[in-house]
Amino acid sequence: MSADWLSGKAAIVGIGQTAFGKRGEFSERGTYSLVLEAIQKACDDAGISPKQIDGWSSYSNDPNQGAMLSAMMGCDRLRFTAMGWGGGGGAMGGAFMYAAMAVATGQADYVCIVRGATMPGNARFGGMGRPGDGPPHGMISPGNSFALAARRHMSRFGTTTEHFGEIAINARRNAANNPNARFRDEITMEDHHASQLICDPLRKMDFCMESDFGTAIIVTSKERAKDSKNEPVSLVSMAMGGPPRWGDAWFGQAASDPSGMGSAVGGHMCDDDDYVTGGYRTLAQDLYDKSGLGPNDVDVALLYDHFTPMVIMAIEDFQFCEKGEGGPFVAEGNIRREGKIPVNTHGGNLAEVYAHGMTHVMEGVRQLRGDSPNQLDNPQIAVIAAGASMAPTGAIMLGKM
Amino acid sequence: MSERMPGTGGPALNRLVTPFYEAAGRGLLVIQQCDDCGYHRHVPTDICYNCLSWKWHWDESLPQTGTVYSYSWVDRPMNEHINDGKVYNFAVVELDGITGNAVRLLTNVYDVEKDSLYVGLRVKAAFDPVAGKYASPGGYGPAGADIAATDVGPIALVVFEPLEGAAA
Repeated sequence: MSADWLSGKAAIVGIGQTAFGKRGEFSERGTYSLVLEAIQKACDDAGISPKQIDGWSSYSNDPNQGAMLSAMMGCDRLRFTAMGWGGGGGAMGGAFMYAAMAVATGQADYVCIVRGATMPGNARFGGMGRPGDGPPHGMISPGNSFALAARRHMSRFGTTTEHFGEIAINARRNAANNPNARFRDEITMEDHHASQLICDPLRKMDFCMESDFGTAIIVTSKERAKDSKNEPVSLVSMAMGGPPRWGDAWFGQAASDPSGMGSAVGGHMCDDDDYVTGGYRTLAQDLYDKSGLGPNDVDVALLYDHFTPMVIMAIEDFQFCEKGEGGPFVAEGNIRREGKIPVNTHGGNLAEVYAHGMTHVMEGVRQLRGDSPNQLDNPQIAVIAAGASMAPTGAIMLGKM
Repeated sequence: MSERMPGTGGPALNRLVTPFYEAAGRGLLVIQQCDDCGYHRHVPTDICYNCLSWKWHWDESLPQTGTVYSYSWVDRPMNEHINDGKVYNFAVVELDGITGNAVRLLTNVYDVEKDSLYVGLRVKAAFDPVAGKYASPGGYGPAGADIAATDVGPIALVVFEPLEGAAA
């Protein structure tokens, strides 16, 4: 299939990030301050002034509004803003699609995708104990939802907690070489299995740790990208979506359901085959179709890893192995740096920082530029998966220009 | 709160879901069913996802049974308000007697131990009365309102227990 119209018409020219802290560490400072620092760094990387940013894009109700950022930095013009519906890191893929469409069609020159968070006190990104059918039954956190998906995957395909452990081990192994990562100590399978059982089958080391951070990424047109200071990276294709009868998550926490009972309708009515996915199945095919490429063309995969089982499901959804074979596939070492398809070479959400997907995109950029902390041998194509289960979730394919 | 309900707070109550909990209060599991095409659906909505009809009723003739689809055990609840800090499970049960795509409930399985709860376990509906406070976004009253002070009848959560002879 031929590539779609948007393919390669936009590029990432700058990436910027703050230091990464534990949850609440930067709460005094606030998210605007974090994001402003990240934007300046991204603009330095791109070789532009923040005043040249005339478009803004984000997702999941990011509190850092483009119009406010534009005013704070005295930007010359405000021409475009976009916000992706949905929770978690799902609509991150969409945020890049909006940006690419805007710059490719001349609606804006430079769109900045922003995401920043600081979570003081008991605040939780995924929400806790909101009304709905979950809390009365004792299902009160995102981890609880993913435990159900993990159990179902284990039951259907024989996936084991050793397979989940390999995801955590790989993340820590990669983070060990990443000076910006929060968790750089390598772990063993024994460490994983000894970590606290939180909601069976998930242990503490199957969870990412909520973090404080600011991130910004600058997107511009292919033509403008040629003037950028550092090597631009092409947005080869982007896709967003979710399975039929899924709603905004498998078992969401009712925030977006008018009945107040649960996410409309998620795991209550989705297809059996979709329940054991990250929700990427259809959009992964869409991503490949739009690019004219396939899974064998991908050199590095940056897969949203807030919970270890979701990486296994993403590997299957993106067709790096057959459905149901993700567990044995990772156990064979295929996602290690030396493996068939290296995954999360920065350490991911599990070990670098939980930045809701933005840092996965940044690692894709670094790999293609050649300056990753775990640099692969001349990769040409990177695939990034946005937040699993949270629809519309998304995916991004990056390529060398 | 109910005698055994492990979670925090009661269910949200509003025009779409209150009859589900009131039927449970009478000891019956009901599910929305389209008048026109007969498809069941859950969670409750105004419109049929299959034929787009707005006409529907609560199906009171379901067999009240199902199969455990997935589950999780929480060994150490996050705080003492959740199941008094003691171990509990939450589960997904796929219902029998459904027309259209599968309908699954988010629920608990009572009267099982860790070694007797498994995917595929056959279960029947049971009902755990809710008394006291409930949460109500856009419902009948403010969050934490007392059910006794509203016109909502006795309500219960739908939970499940093993069918006779089904437990390991």
